Amino acid sequence: MDQLFVNRMVKRLVLPLLLLLFYGNALAQLERKLVTADPEVELIFHAPRQINLLTVEPLEEKTLHFAIMHTFGPLKEGVRNLYGLDNGANIQFSFEYAFDDRFSLGASRSGRDKFYNLYGRHHLFRQKKSGAVPVSLSLVAAAGVNTVDYTFLREDAPDFSERSSFAFQLLLARKFSDKISVQLSPSLAYFNAPMAAYLMEGEQNLYLALGISGKFKLTGKSSLTLQWMPNLNSDLRSNVGIGIDIEAGGHVFQMYFVTSQALNEQYLLAGGNGVPGEGFRLGFNVNRIFATGSR
Amino acid sequence: MKWRRLWLLPLMYLLMVGEVQAQEFKTTEGEVRFLSQASLNEFTGKSDQLHGLLDPEKNLVDFYVDLNTLKTGIGLRDRHMRDNYLETEKYPFAEFTGKMQGAVSFEVNQTQKVKAMGVFKIHGKERYLEVDGSLTPLGPNEILLEANFEVKLGDFDIAIPQVMFYELSETQQVKIKAKLKK
Repeated sequence: MDQLFVNRMVKRLVLPLLLLLFYGNALAQLERKLVTADPEVELIFHAPRQINLLTVEPLEEKTLHFAIMHTFGPLKEGVRNLYGLDNGANIQFSFEYAFDDRFSLGASRSGRDKFYNLYGRHHLFRQKKSGAVPVSLSLVAAAGVNTVDYTFLREDAPDFSERSSFAFQLLLARKFSDKISVQLSPSLAYFNAPMAAYLMEGEQNLYLALGISGKFKLTGKSSLTLQWMPNLNSDLRSNVGIGIDIEAGGHVFQMYFVTSQALNEQYLLAGGNGVPGEGFRLGFNVNRIFATGSR
Repeated sequence: MKWRRLWLLPLMYLLMVGEVQAQEFKTTEGEVRFLSQASLNEFTGKSDQLHGLLDPEKNLVDFYVDLNTLKTGIGLRDRHMRDNYLETEKYPFAEFTGKMQGAVSFEVNQTQKVKAMGVFKIHGKERYLEVDGSLTPLGPNEILLEANFEVKLGDFDIAIPQVMFYELSETQQVKIKAKLKK
């Protein structure tokens, strides 16, 4: 046998045999396989709400999302009013129940104008990890009614139809990286009969705006959050918010500065805004998800 | 020259060996449950996609579960669990590979206590673990395995933030139950 042949044998026979020894051991174990090869992207945002806007973050079937949201008086009132905290918060309670993984129905009540709102969120499709679906898209529709009694007005109090308002939003979101998520929310609000007595600056019926939400992850459990809503068909100032989201188990806490006291989808567009900076108000949301039914 | 194809022999051997090894009991639908008992909150998580292999002849026990299949009943909590604690994108599996102490008896419907010793891996960290369990042969080709053990999150570098100690237990009680078939 010449040297070349031996070399070749080493390459052809001994190496595979050695490999076999190791491979044989590995083979005895089960091969680790992921159940879903191309899963949906998760936690584009921390919760179904961020600052004052709804997000594409879905609820799982038969779960209930409870959010209590507050916005206080303007910071510019200074320490005498504890930076607006003395000045009566607008508080919104909202409950949203998911009938399945795609559709949920919610009801909310905010203190300003004693406003009751019914809304639905439908998730059309969700971003996939592979990029096969690059974005998540959800629809929001809301109908609400102002229930202040208005006995103090000289004219007749508005009727139910005049008190009603509606909102539609398209939520288009993408998680660009583990750290950065962005959502565009083209929004529409329509008031059947906006009155001067309503706690909002807008006087027109129809409002259009483009909501922009951003999330920048700071640590595993907290993120910097941004909200900007340029108005498209009114002279009202745009809504600006900046805050922080903190996950703590079943809760997501959201603290922010925002230019408006409005918390529901309609008033967010029509309510008017302070100047970012001195017009900022402190805001605070607590989100909690409950499981219902047996599983 | 025929020698050139000699390297194929080990592969053929491998294929044949694969055929012969019929001592393997396997499952892809075992049940895993974990219980987190903290002072303010108690919850369980569950997956029914535990993959398992039991080979009494080679004395091999091998289990793994895709942690993405664990469900606690609240979707957002599941997502936070995957994202913050288990980091399933980097470490998708919980695995155990080890040996069993003593021989296995195949007497049908006789439950026997067994102990498995091996390496448990989760969150990219490995630990030696002894697991007490029981085996019950249900027939010549089917065997039921049940086991309980505890996982301390700190042992696997899964940190619980201070504010969460009331909500999430440091010690997770894990239960597995799997019917393995030949």
